[in-house]
Amino acid sequence: MLSYIIRRLLGVIPVMLVVGIFVFSLLHLAPGDPAAIIAGDNATAESIARIRANLGLDRPLWEQFSTWGWATLRGDLGVSMYSGTAVTTMVQQRIGATLSLATTTMLVAVTIAVTLGVLAAWKAGSLLDRAVMGLAVTGFSVPVFVVGYIMVYFVSLQWRLLPVQGYVPLSEGFWNWLRHLILPSFALGLAYVALIARITRASMLDVLAEDYIRTASAKGVASVPMLLRHALKNAAVPIITVIGIGVALLISGVVITESVFNVPGVGRLVVDAISRRDYPVIQGVMIIFAAVYVLINLLIDISYCFLDPRIRYS
Amino acid sequence: MTSSRRSVLTAGVAAAALASAVPLLGRAQQRPRQARMVPHGDLNVLDPIWTTQNMAAYHGAMMYDTLFGIDANFNPQPQMVGRYDISQDRKVYTFELRPGLKWHDGTAVTARDCVASLRRWQAKDGAGTHLFERVADTPVVDEKTFRIVLKEPYGLLLDALAKTSTPVCYMMKAEIAATDPNTQITKHIGSGPFRFVEAEYRQGSRVVYERNADYVPRNEPASGIAGGKRVMLDRVIWDIMPDAQTAASALMAGEVDFFEVPPIDILPTLASAPNVKVEVFNKFGNVGYCRLNHLHPPFNNLNARKAAQLAINQEDIQRAAVGDPKYYQVCGSNFTCGSPMGVEDGAEALMLKAPMAERQAKARELLKQSGYDGKPITILHATNIHIMNQTILVIAQNLRQVGFNVQLASSDWGGVVTRRSNQNAPEQGGWNVFFTWGGGNATSNPIALSAHAANGRKAWFGWPENADVEKLRTEWAYAAAGEPRRNVARRMNKVMFDYVHDVKTGQWVGPVAYRGDRLRGLIQVPEIIPWWGVERIG
Repeated sequence: MLSYIIRRLLGVIPVMLVVGIFVFSLLHLAPGDPAAIIAGDNATAESIARIRANLGLDRPLWEQFSTWGWATLRGDLGVSMYSGTAVTTMVQQRIGATLSLATTTMLVAVTIAVTLGVLAAWKAGSLLDRAVMGLAVTGFSVPVFVVGYIMVYFVSLQWRLLPVQGYVPLSEGFWNWLRHLILPSFALGLAYVALIARITRASMLDVLAEDYIRTASAKGVASVPMLLRHALKNAAVPIITVIGIGVALLISGVVITESVFNVPGVGRLVVDAISRRDYPVIQGVMIIFAAVYVLINLLIDISYCFLDPRIRYS
Repeated sequence: MTSSRRSVLTAGVAAAALASAVPLLGRAQQRPRQARMVPHGDLNVLDPIWTTQNMAAYHGAMMYDTLFGIDANFNPQPQMVGRYDISQDRKVYTFELRPGLKWHDGTAVTARDCVASLRRWQAKDGAGTHLFERVADTPVVDEKTFRIVLKEPYGLLLDALAKTSTPVCYMMKAEIAATDPNTQITKHIGSGPFRFVEAEYRQGSRVVYERNADYVPRNEPASGIAGGKRVMLDRVIWDIMPDAQTAASALMAGEVDFFEVPPIDILPTLASAPNVKVEVFNKFGNVGYCRLNHLHPPFNNLNARKAAQLAINQEDIQRAAVGDPKYYQVCGSNFTCGSPMGVEDGAEALMLKAPMAERQAKARELLKQSGYDGKPITILHATNIHIMNQTILVIAQNLRQVGFNVQLASSDWGGVVTRRSNQNAPEQGGWNVFFTWGGGNATSNPIALSAHAANGRKAWFGWPENADVEKLRTEWAYAAAGEPRRNVARRMNKVMFDYVHDVKTGQWVGPVAYRGDRLRGLIQVPEIIPWWGVERIG
């Protein structure tokens, strides 16, 4: 197991290198000049050229890449071309909001989805099953911003129960933190509820058809313990895989939710940076995202060993 | 005396309610006098000289001060300057700073600081460069006094120092102003009515200002950005919100107090919401211009440019991009309709009341005379900004209708900004047409707006060349304020339309929305949102 983990961690290095080359090339080959954007609409061509030179953007690409690559290896992700703030500081300022949103979203999604998925499988073919699957299809089909606006209209504007937008850190009080996350978490979580509920149902249906479940049932094991202790545990591997992928997608996929609910997270940071071609910020955040993806995949793989003793890595 | 379980419970609830109400009452009394604004964009550059972005100018208005300011009648008035004197030959201007001016670090503002700031600003600003080409020297006389010595009399000196279009002539400490104008400053010390709270600044999310208790306002009432800047708020917070619908909802829910640029389609909802006011603060609004590339065919030919001018229909564009006629107008001035220089002489071709079919027929004829060979023309098309997207689609259709073979080069605005500076032929990465707009206030000044220059490859993108325009711009700068300047503007407007400097696409205003139950005393100034003079009433 240990050697497997070490091998996987070493495998991160070429992945990061490829990501680095890919992101750098894509950004610098795409149209868009940060110097022209910084200079503003009233700027002259000479002014733009001077800003470009001061930012080092007139140097050969290989030189720019090697400077950035070497700094990144030393843990220095550079500074924003606009504000001059260190990329690591910008990420630190925003990661709390993104992690809070991702965590509450997954808690909401997993709790609701697994419950619904188990119930749908247990009562397969019933009205309940159809209702759950109908909800799943709806949740997956309706865009998050539509759900968000509808929730804001009723919950915040009409009933005045929760704030429309914004984020406050946990240090400013648990309830204050939570009440700002309820709407975005539900809006974003709906799609994940749909995804996880469907996988849970399918996986549970397979397990419920196994002989040992029939035996347990024949021995008189009550429905709830049978479902949770025997069936759900054995159906967990695909569910955990989907949840893991969901978490990884959430880290970078919260952009729309962050915009609709004005949550100042990492997703918005990278989208803003792309629209103004703030190369160091884009490159830095992409590298961090890639590392998070790799780490989450590793954790999922390791969790399989604990969930299913038949799985062992040599 | 007996006490029931219910009465004990009631007493307990009452006590708990009282206990929870006491801190709330205290909090209500101590509630900071604060205003929250959703501005039109993100403050991602903190140096208002390094960039011409409007958000940086807004930031500058909060934390920096200017030597002069434009009053409500667009006349320059002293701001940091106490007394000033103009020599009889009008070549020496002597400025004395008013007493009590301090930087936010507590040190006194000196004449040396102002001269250093002027030097840095002029390197980045069109009006500043135009002025300093005529400046012989800027000697410091003493701690509080400095001079601007001109080679020849120049009528726009005070206007340039007072203007609100970017880059505004903000004063900085000498050691900060010593930074290369093309490098961003890293220290943020102003002398303005608000202090920038750097520790709370989150790029892309939040900007915070606090009242500068040391600021000494002028005695006059506030007028435009001149007069006494009396601050009645403890804090002003800018909430950067990328989504307009969210900002509108936040305003209606009372989570923010001021929304600078609500989209036109949301305005009816906001106007009907309780306690929300919708008003036009910037009466000059924005002026759209379609830039034609004068360097390459077909628009290096006057007849092709005239054909485009006849084909492009302001009314069509404004209806598609803005929608509500209450907020737009067809305008035949290069210098902003409704402004002191808003003359429309020579704009007959554009303002032609003839049916569009007649205009198009004439345009086709002119295009034929130009020798246009049907080669595709490249139009830069920014798809991520509503007004730009809509305008370009209409321009493309207008041009197609008279025989231009149009090819859209679609990208985001960042892509357009890069490509528009390319002077090569369209097939080598250049372009033929792009659209942008300028603030009405900036556009009203023939010198300050670089897009008015007509000095060929050194001009703004599109690179128009016309010696008469350049001569008239200089003549305008030397003319006396009022009617003499307006007369020069008339001649200039005619020349610019005759040789088709660019094609104006109309003028529109963008109302602001704010909580009328909370804010009072907002000052209506073009291109800046001042927060002095504003009171929190609820």
